[in-house]
Amino acid sequence: MQQVGEAKLSLLATKLRERKPPTLSMAPMIDCVFLLLIFFMVSTTFSPIPGLRVQLPPPGKPSPDKPKGLTVRIANPEPGEYRGTMVLNDVVVQVEEMFNQFINAPEESKNMLIIQSERDVLHEQIVQVMDIAKQAGIDKIGFAIVARD
Amino acid sequence: MALNLAQRRKTNDEDDIPMAPMIDCVFLLLIFFMVSAVMKANPPFTITLPDSSTQHEFTRKKYNLFVNSDGRVSIDDQEMLTLEDMELFIAAHEHQISTLIIKADKRAKHGVVIDVVERAKMRSSKTEGLEIAFAVSEED
Repeated sequence: MQQVGEAKLSLLATKLRERKPPTLSMAPMIDCVFLLLIFFMVSTTFSPIPGLRVQLPPPGKPSPDKPKGLTVRIANPEPGEYRGTMVLNDVVVQVEEMFNQFINAPEESKNMLIIQSERDVLHEQIVQVMDIAKQAGIDKIGFAIVARD
Repeated sequence: MALNLAQRRKTNDEDDIPMAPMIDCVFLLLIFFMVSAVMKANPPFTITLPDSSTQHEFTRKKYNLFVNSDGRVSIDDQEMLTLEDMELFIAAHEHQISTLIIKADKRAKHGVVIDVVERAKMRSSKTEGLEIAFAVSEED
């Protein structure tokens, strides 16, 4: 009688064990994953950066031949002003008339614009000149620099 | 009695929404966003980008170069104290930089910007040279 009872008990115990396998609780992990997902979704930006491409010659010695093209020279701004005087082919030009000057330039010189600028000219003015040149269809823009040894 | 309990359990299990496919999807999305996320790194100074009506679009990447109006240079949030530091940094991360985007302040001096461009270009071992872009303001 006692043996039968013990057997029944052990059977019940194994049944119970089979019925309740150990489980991992998934809920906290899913909570964390959701939080991470929301964080990355909110912090990701897909918008591109607007900019102007600068084409530079390959590194090395500058080419000895004089490049053909338009040359704009920009002087350091006078104290108190933020725009320097600009000279295009030995004539002083204002920003407003620059676009027409570029458009009316001879076709063979329109392939490239060389900007010779002094060191204290503001970046804004350079970008403005590049912008006008791109509007006028001049895609190659170069900067004149002094060669270092 | 025992049978009854088992039956109840079974029906209860079937009532649950299956979570596994949803978790799979969430994991996939998580991995996608983690891989594609480019964390925004702000420089230790503020800059105002110049305006331009013509602009080209460049994909947002790590390692942008910032130049402020006082001539301070930083790559992402790391300030470069000398141009030599900057050269070394660019040389070390050359493979991750396809286009070097220079975010220079409106009032930055052209001389500093050109120094930075020249240094960056010299350090690049690519034969065609490093592609360089000047970032402009996002508003039209």
